[in-house]
Amino acid sequence: MRRQRFSKIVGILVVALLAITAVFYTGATVEAAGEINLMTWGGDFIPRAIIREFEEETGIKVNYKEVTSNEDMQSLLEANPGQYDLAVTTDYMVDILRQTDMLAVLDKSQLPNYANINPVYHGAYYDPTDEYSIPYAISISLLLANPGAVEALGADPITSYHDLWQKELVNNVVVVDWSVEIMGVVLKSLGYEYNETDPVKVAEAREKLFALKPNIMRFETNTPEDSLVNGEAVAGFMYSNQAVKGVQTKPELAPVFPTEGMPIFIDSWVMSKAAPNKDGAYQFLNFIMRPEIAARIADLTKFTSPNKAAEEYLPEDFKNNPMLNLADEVVENTSFYIGVEKVLDEYEHIYLEFKLR
Amino acid sequence: MTRKTSRFSAFYLSLFFVILYLPVLSVILYSFNASPSTARWTGFTFDWYRVLFQDRVIVESFKVSIQVALATAVLSAILGTASAVISMWVTERMKKAIQGMMILPLLVPEIALGIALLIFFNALRLPFGHLTLVLSHSLFCVPYVYVMVQLRLKEIDRSILESARDLGATTWQMVRTVILPLVTPSIITASLLALAMSLDDVIISTYMSGPRTTTLPVHIFSMMRVGVTPKVNALCTLIMVGMFFIVGLSQLFNNTQRKEGL
Amino acid sequence: MQTLKRNILAVPILVWIGLLVGIPLIFVFGLSFLSRDSLGTIVFQFTLENYQRVLSPIYQRVFLNSLLLAFLTGAVTLVIGYPVAYITANLEPKKRALSIGLTMLPFWISSLLRTYGWMILLGNAGIINNLLLSLGIIETPLPMMYKFGTTLIGTAYMLIPFMIVAIFNSVDKLDRSLLEASYDLGASRRQTFFNITLPLTIPGIAGGFTLVFIPALGMFYVSDLLGGGNTIFLGNLINTQVTRGRNRPLAAAFSVAMILVVLLVISLYSRVAKDDREGLFL
Repeated sequence: MRRQRFSKIVGILVVALLAITAVFYTGATVEAAGEINLMTWGGDFIPRAIIREFEEETGIKVNYKEVTSNEDMQSLLEANPGQYDLAVTTDYMVDILRQTDMLAVLDKSQLPNYANINPVYHGAYYDPTDEYSIPYAISISLLLANPGAVEALGADPITSYHDLWQKELVNNVVVVDWSVEIMGVVLKSLGYEYNETDPVKVAEAREKLFALKPNIMRFETNTPEDSLVNGEAVAGFMYSNQAVKGVQTKPELAPVFPTEGMPIFIDSWVMSKAAPNKDGAYQFLNFIMRPEIAARIADLTKFTSPNKAAEEYLPEDFKNNPMLNLADEVVENTSFYIGVEKVLDEYEHIYLEFKLR
Repeated sequence: MTRKTSRFSAFYLSLFFVILYLPVLSVILYSFNASPSTARWTGFTFDWYRVLFQDRVIVESFKVSIQVALATAVLSAILGTASAVISMWVTERMKKAIQGMMILPLLVPEIALGIALLIFFNALRLPFGHLTLVLSHSLFCVPYVYVMVQLRLKEIDRSILESARDLGATTWQMVRTVILPLVTPSIITASLLALAMSLDDVIISTYMSGPRTTTLPVHIFSMMRVGVTPKVNALCTLIMVGMFFIVGLSQLFNNTQRKEGL
Repeated sequence: MQTLKRNILAVPILVWIGLLVGIPLIFVFGLSFLSRDSLGTIVFQFTLENYQRVLSPIYQRVFLNSLLLAFLTGAVTLVIGYPVAYITANLEPKKRALSIGLTMLPFWISSLLRTYGWMILLGNAGIINNLLLSLGIIETPLPMMYKFGTTLIGTAYMLIPFMIVAIFNSVDKLDRSLLEASYDLGASRRQTFFNITLPLTIPGIAGGFTLVFIPALGMFYVSDLLGGGNTIFLGNLINTQVTRGRNRPLAAAFSVAMILVVLLVISLYSRVAKDDREGLFL
């Protein structure tokens, strides 16, 4: 009877599928000696070409897990410290991981190329003894504007945060979607410091923040530059690598380094205390600190490189790009978002009120 | 009541499908976009399809997704069907208990479930990867299989079961030769649904995957950070085309079966 | 003893799901009563402060936003989906399977990408605007993106297959002889529909509504992409608290609150579908 045959076929299929999947379950979850496991951001944060070259040269296979937030990295690392060798994470998270004792102390004798790192990045707040992290990518937040469109709206040219509040820019500004960053913009425009805790100053910032609402058309952390490229917005507050992409796609756009000050972010490599393949990890770190490699990484990812020796290998247009080759005055005007945990709850609350207006 | 479709009905249905497929067509169209971002269209190119096949990570994550989805579909089919069939025999209260249990996974917001499962599986020292992915995906797929099979089970004429019993069939024989064949269409439909849902899951998969197991949607989601390039569009276009073939083939199979007087 | 014999088979199932879902649920519930220190580590001390915050007026507005979105999504998918299900159920079998197949097919493209598809369609420099501009119908682009309505479109689009399948099942099971009888008695098609078909398919409507409402409540990336992050929903809150806010206990409290809302909706559903005792989706 056909029904019987049909169910026999189904039965066989089921068994076959189970067998196939069983094979995959027993796939080794223990890392082979020739592998390292990385945790990183998506979208080619470590350029594929570089990884391939490392694999070809050393024979070590690189597995990488992509995450979308530092906190995800923290969760995964805390849950399975023995499954990951290296992770690249933003400065404040290095600080946290260091304090929660998740990180291995780096043996500098295995990292001769560490000498290539620009000394200006030594002794940062999140790793004062430079024992736990290797800086990888530097970025800042800044303004990006379409000067022609700004003028066409009848507004003054954008030169500082303060200019974002102009009435003419209603529904024409795009910003990244984070309370700390937006509060930072407001605080700086008032001449205060980041992560201000003084209640009087915070209240003042809150009022000024509310006044900005009508101008914001979109909150977008991933690709805010798109809004400027397709003309939805004429000005935006975003990260330098995003601004670089925006200008690349639409040359009429121009970056603005606000005189009031900018935040700086350093994404660094850290090693898990329980890393399964420390040797392989050291080899990888050393590899990416080679000057030519670091230069290519910077050029491909559009981030500023912390590698001083790489500078001579950087292409001309990289060196000429003020967003990538940060001028000294610009760097001096940047600061980290230190002490986020002290203000996070309050700023999130204010930000929520702001969005609900 | 006549089964002829009125002109208005045909129009409405067609309009619906046009709108339903507009975003899909946009995705397919932009897989040929020369510009890497969706912000503007700069020209027609096949490049992204080429880049797609060279991209080891995307292909790898797609493989993982398919493996997980297939295993999830099979596991959910078995568990869901078993639950539905067993529900036929248990007491009313037990049945309500089962139903309640089935709804539970759907109640919890995925992100809460993801983190809770992360900690739970970790405490059990389970290896993170295919196993944890399939277990967690089955959680939200089993309820759908259960419900769809239940639907079909209700419609089974009890007298058939009774006559089977009268003819001396054991319970297991009854299940195997009468019940299962009758509910197979539902099982297959529900399994396809489970397959689709597992393939699409982002949030739970983020927490449940291991160092070497990233699923495709998680990969796409993490690509969002720097902009999703059209090679993802290319991959999804190919998936769509593949599915068209499969659905088309199964239609043909169904039709020939029907013609042979099943 | 008879009862035990009948029920024994169900025990493994209950244990399976109970463990897999129950334990995480208990965990989430317990977590909601704890707090965290500045590094994000959990402090094991009972506190009600998370729930106090959940109940504060500002978060109530977020709840309302989500409820509104979920409800409107249900309504929109119902109004658009019912005719689709009804017409499909009345098609001849071959076309019927095709229709259902076509409805489910887009599911196979990542929902994330389909949401991007809407961005391509609706953006200022998108397909629709380009078309209208080049045809001279409008002079400046229609701003369709980053509004509440845009999020609604995206969410409804993603969830409408559930509504259609639920209603389809319901319409499909209608006893045609009832409709025949109605026509024989002289009722018009319209009267038949409103007096017989519609009431008999209410369980399907309720089921579909529930199937759409629940996911819509937890939605967040659609509102980020299509709504431009302009409106905050419950899903955003939970997600932000887990990541940027590093406050998992608070996220747990919001999750518990959301689960309670969902339970409420389900109890309403079972009230409405009380004639059908077989379960959630008919």
